[in-house]
Amino acid sequence: MGVSAVRVRGLWKRFGQQVAVAGVDLELPAGKFIGLVGPNGAGKTTTLSMVTGLLRPDHGTVEVVGHDVWRDPVEVKALIGVLPEGLRLFERLSGRELLAYNGRLRGLPGAEVDKRATQLLDVLDLAGAQHKLVVDYSTGMRKKIGLATALLHNPEVLFLDEPFEGVDPVSAQTIRGVLERYTASGATVVFSSHVMELVESLCDWVAVMAAGRIRATGTLAEVRGDAPSLQRAFLELVGAQSRDAGSDLDWLGGGAR
Amino acid sequence: MSTEAITPVFVRLKLSLLRNGLRQSGGRKAAYITSAVFALLFAALQLIGLIALRGHAHAESVVVLAVAVLGLGWAVMPLFFPSGDETLDPTRLVMLPLRPRPLVRALLTASLVGIGPLFTLCLLVGSVIAVARGGAAFVVGGVAVALALLVCVALARAVAAANVRLLTSRKGRDLAVLSGLVIAVGAQIVNFGAQRLGQSGLGELDPPAHVLQWVPPASAVGAVHAVSEGSYGLAAAQLALTAGALVALLALWSRHLTRLMTSPDGSTLPSAEAAAKERASTGLARLLPAGRTGTVMERSLRYVWRDPKTKTAWVTSLAIGLIVPVFNAWQGTGSVYFACFAAGMLGIQMYNQFGQDTSAFWMVAMTISSSRDAYVELRARAYALLLITLPYATLVTVLTTAMLGDWRRLPEALGLSFALLGAMLATGAWTSARFPYSIPQEGYKNVAPGQTGLAWISIFGGMMSAALLCAPVIALTIWLNVSADGDDWAWLLLPVGTAYGAALTAAGLKLAAPRTARRLPEILAAVSKG
Repeated sequence: MGVSAVRVRGLWKRFGQQVAVAGVDLELPAGKFIGLVGPNGAGKTTTLSMVTGLLRPDHGTVEVVGHDVWRDPVEVKALIGVLPEGLRLFERLSGRELLAYNGRLRGLPGAEVDKRATQLLDVLDLAGAQHKLVVDYSTGMRKKIGLATALLHNPEVLFLDEPFEGVDPVSAQTIRGVLERYTASGATVVFSSHVMELVESLCDWVAVMAAGRIRATGTLAEVRGDAPSLQRAFLELVGAQSRDAGSDLDWLGGGAR
Repeated sequence: MSTEAITPVFVRLKLSLLRNGLRQSGGRKAAYITSAVFALLFAALQLIGLIALRGHAHAESVVVLAVAVLGLGWAVMPLFFPSGDETLDPTRLVMLPLRPRPLVRALLTASLVGIGPLFTLCLLVGSVIAVARGGAAFVVGGVAVALALLVCVALARAVAAANVRLLTSRKGRDLAVLSGLVIAVGAQIVNFGAQRLGQSGLGELDPPAHVLQWVPPASAVGAVHAVSEGSYGLAAAQLALTAGALVALLALWSRHLTRLMTSPDGSTLPSAEAAAKERASTGLARLLPAGRTGTVMERSLRYVWRDPKTKTAWVTSLAIGLIVPVFNAWQGTGSVYFACFAAGMLGIQMYNQFGQDTSAFWMVAMTISSSRDAYVELRARAYALLLITLPYATLVTVLTTAMLGDWRRLPEALGLSFALLGAMLATGAWTSARFPYSIPQEGYKNVAPGQTGLAWISIFGGMMSAALLCAPVIALTIWLNVSADGDDWAWLLLPVGTAYGAALTAAGLKLAAPRTARRLPEILAAVSKG
């Protein structure tokens, strides 16, 4: 195996009293569709923010394709594409203007940016809304235009934080198609999610995170082990008991109102 | 639900909402009580003032105008405070089986409960007392007060119902952000109007009042005055006009209400025509330089127009930068040097550049990987600002000079303006990198909670430093003005001030760039709060 797509060593982040990421070591193989899974509050977003250079870690190092994120930003920023969660876009630009702005900031020639933007808008089914301001976009459209800005400069590694959150099935299928085509060409996608079925159907490599730590990594089959589904394997890994709800809420459904 | 019963239900709902205003947390409760007390105090003072006006020669002009302004206030209020009255938001009632006629009756009655209507009632009663002479006039006055109050309330509801699609959309919320500005500018106009009245007397009000006495709700008060004068025919016509307006407004309101409650919500309808309108011309892009510089400039300039917060800040700066020097010059109290105000106000726009981006700053951060990138980014933002500021500051300076006729001082005023502008850009760039803070996108606040200190350091520290940086040019100006043959050399201040300002800006950008490049995650964290 060649250079890993991402190598993380001893990553820590503390916000006041709360430890968000408590010593993450992670090595993600190149050319795979990788899922970072974990319950809400597991530290997925914090980890991805630190890996992409948007948040400074308290300790630890991050390398993307062999380049240190903090010491070699010129290389790293050209290599990666990012779709963060919970951060805005320049929403007072139209979809097309946003792509034009982002591509030119990244130093691509204007004509090339416009060509790529047209194709991305087409493939992502945004051509009809390209002149609408992003502020008026729906959640699914925002995720799609965010994905377009992340892909525009043809990065080697793509980091997507909850790319399917709040997205309708049609848009989700479109995003999926684009990502599958992208990884088939040898690029790496790292995305976070708490929807196991989605990760199971999309990814060939999984890292499970809970309470700021990595609980398991490996191929889908390795992480799933003997469990019937990733969901079951995950619940066992994070130690969640399936609670018996039989005696509570016994009035709910059927019988007397 | 029986239709007869809904009016008391709505009135009770309104009363409990008013009462619940008192059940909020300490600070909000205090604010609620204070504003209520102030409104009532103001209403009482107005009532006393209007009663004192009784018998004054121009009393009828004053009251007609006051009621007309009050009516205007009721008409525009729903546009700026769309969420002002929850009981009256018909979209909350769509699921209930209600008929239009009883609903309008119930909503209208509920609208009459509250501080606003009470304030209006005080003003109307005061107006009638001010102009009514004789028993007949007071009887008509009673009718007039009721009619005018109903017209005001119905006007507000009709405007709100007619514009609900706008008010619940993003454009409507953008409009609400601008409302503070409208109120501020309106207050300035009232201020200047009052000053002129103080100089030339109430007689100035007669011509507009002659027209407005035919416009409801002012026509109701006009009728009271007409009865006092004995012109019963005139009074009947004015009262009929007011009543007609009330009926028309209620019909309009009822129609919009029916349509609102029986058709789909406007916010979910695709707005194809709006999309076509927002297609911006690309003419601007062709004139700007290529690369990051032009890209950043284009985005900054688009935001001046499209982002309501940025737009409000710019319009405020442009307006104050013009009003202070020009109005002072106009009143004969000004000096050419006041023109520097324009440069200073506009220079403030360079402050907290990254806060203006909000958390979208991550897109910028992802493309800055060296001090050079940061320098070009900041320089482009300064260029975008200069594109508006330079011509504007020049215009204001020339205008002020022209009004004062002090052409001899034009070069030095311009030189000082440009030096100050340069110093503001330099300190603005540096504080943008050193003391960034969030600007909340919703509501009127311009600083996120917990960052007020940062904002103060940034703006006031920066402005003080800018003034200090300008000290050499100011000293040179003073020296040339006091020395014997200084006037011959005063023209020198224009090139010196300009060059000095440009040098300051360049130095400021050079200092700010490495700091920006080094602190990208910290800046992003600071501007993403709130």
